[in-house]
Amino acid sequence: MQPVRPLLKAIGAFPRSAVFTICAFVLLGLLAPYIAPHDPNAQDLLVAGQGPTLAHPFGVDHLGRDTLSRLIVAARTSLVGVCLVLVCAHAIGIAIGTIAGYRRGWTDELLMRIVDVGQAIPSLIVSLAVIGIAGVSYWNMILALALAWWPGSARISRAVAVNTMNKPHMEALRVLGASPVRIYFVHLLPTTIGAVLVYATADAGAVALAIATLSFLGLGIQPPTPEWGQMLVDALPYLESDPRQVILPGLTLTLAVIGFNILGEAVALTEFRSR
Amino acid sequence: MTFHDGTPFDAAAVEWNLKRWIGLEANNWMNSSRLYAGTDIVDDDHVNVRFKEPVLGLLQEFAYVRPVRLLSPKSVSGDGSYKAPVGTGPWHQATAGNEGSAFERFDAYWGDKPSFKYLEVKVLPDSRGRMAALRAGDVDLIGGAFVSPLTATEAETLKGAGIDVVIDPGTTTMIMAFNTSRVEALRDPKVRKAINLGIDRAAISQVLYRGLATSTGNLFSETVPYSGKRFDVPRRDTETAKSLLEEAGWVGGPVRQKDGKDLAIELVVSEEQVPGSRSVAEVIQSELQEIGVTLTIRSVDHASRHSDIPERKFDLAFFQTFGAPYEPFGTVVGLFLSTYDNGVDGKLFIDPEHLDPLVLAAMSAPEGEMEAALQKVYDWLHDNDAIAPLLFVPGIWAHAARVKGFQSPATEYDMPYENITLAE
Repeated sequence: MQPVRPLLKAIGAFPRSAVFTICAFVLLGLLAPYIAPHDPNAQDLLVAGQGPTLAHPFGVDHLGRDTLSRLIVAARTSLVGVCLVLVCAHAIGIAIGTIAGYRRGWTDELLMRIVDVGQAIPSLIVSLAVIGIAGVSYWNMILALALAWWPGSARISRAVAVNTMNKPHMEALRVLGASPVRIYFVHLLPTTIGAVLVYATADAGAVALAIATLSFLGLGIQPPTPEWGQMLVDALPYLESDPRQVILPGLTLTLAVIGFNILGEAVALTEFRSR
Repeated sequence: MTFHDGTPFDAAAVEWNLKRWIGLEANNWMNSSRLYAGTDIVDDDHVNVRFKEPVLGLLQEFAYVRPVRLLSPKSVSGDGSYKAPVGTGPWHQATAGNEGSAFERFDAYWGDKPSFKYLEVKVLPDSRGRMAALRAGDVDLIGGAFVSPLTATEAETLKGAGIDVVIDPGTTTMIMAFNTSRVEALRDPKVRKAINLGIDRAAISQVLYRGLATSTGNLFSETVPYSGKRFDVPRRDTETAKSLLEEAGWVGGPVRQKDGKDLAIELVVSEEQVPGSRSVAEVIQSELQEIGVTLTIRSVDHASRHSDIPERKFDLAFFQTFGAPYEPFGTVVGLFLSTYDNGVDGKLFIDPEHLDPLVLAAMSAPEGEMEAALQKVYDWLHDNDAIAPLLFVPGIWAHAARVKGFQSPATEYDMPYENITLAE
């Protein structure tokens, strides 16, 4: 329970609008296959580009696919992608951050300089480079984003770990003769994961946007999987003739990102006040 | 007559230019180069070019923009390599850079001089950027499948905004290639035929090309010389497609299997190379799913396409024929003869045992038998379902209101300035 408690506490203090948006995003993502009214990939070229009707309340896209269903299923694509990226990035980041925070000294110096290098390169450039080398595929995209995101996580983890290690109960544990393995796995790691999880939630918006960006560039999620960034790029040729096709995925993506960003700001403020 | 730099345009200059390309192994796809025997300078104004036998389409080949050109012999570097475009044409280059090039009218030009003095070619890589520039009055003319492609949807948008749009039938064909060396399933002509029958060409032309493209079962459109007899446009027939796959041993569903392996194929798409191809790919993906074929789409950029296609790292891929003036031999030799190095464009279909002899026979056939020899190539490709021709790509141009008298150029490599006058 230790890692989850700070997260729940933080959520309780968050602005309602953000919590509502994020809950909607997560619920849509989880239940997408059950609530999407149509098969998101079923094409009907005869009605391609048609506006809202009773059967298709948000209209259909340039290939006659139901826009509402695609928006809903895209939430799932995004949610799964964001979770995978955050889990991978934080797994690397927390491991490196806690080792640096626990060992201190030259290990800390070395690891943190590597992190500095990682943070100095913009995340999109890192992702583009990784995809350029490894090729375009779903898992390469996840890997690329994880490799771009871990340095931030490592830095926060190290700060939390150093803070934790300086607490009196850690000193007491050492005096009592607790083994380094026990200190690290039972006391340091869970505390760090808990604190970093809060930051991870705040980061989700940026990751969702990065996934959409890569898909927009054709380097992320491949057709026919519905994805907001890809829906945007598909609809761009119709920007003037049928703006609805661009506005809907754009608006959905914006809402999700704003939701997470409000959350992020709230996290930062809460942390600031608690110090 | 002189070059832009004042060097006289004489027999010696012409011979020097000819010898830069004619008779070289790399240019064997041109009859004039393959059959070249030698040159003699008669006098200042005449050069005799000798050939081993009569050359079909000699004048047409001599009008190619590449590799044929007439360059001032004084304009090259010391080692003879190309340095600057100093020719005899109506325009001489004033500036050239990554953002564009500017040309000035060459007033000593021997032919009809252009009606305007300056011509600027701007590099605008994004088609939406080009459309915006046209509408803002920054550029006067965009279009052409090779230079600055416009999609049918974009043409419709421009038309809706009151811009003049000109559409010509074009000379290139969009074709889907089967790579039999990478996918065993595609080695079976029945599977290829089933895929050919699974595609709804009419719907693709109508919806994605707004009715501007003509769907086809032929390698070349009738605008191409020796384009061969017309084959029926394959009509979508899922029942026949399904039974063909059953016959080929691919059974079950929703994804057909044979010996425990799924009938799963990858389609390489480069939106930069063939604009609009991603949507076409998605339609084909959905249509083939109905006959039990799983299609994965792999989007690549221009550079990856240029390395993956020649290395044959694709199961299915979209190709475009070269178009005028290189047809029919540019495509027949370049895209089908396995022994000819086609550079970054790669090969559409190769079969050294059956197809190469037919292509070689067509290349060396005397004029009277050439049409029949080419027809044998077309027939073989058609009868074996070696390729899946989809549609003839229309040439779309759009120009500003002040541009008068615009006519689509004869080839994608001609700058269509000739009939243009500017109304101020």
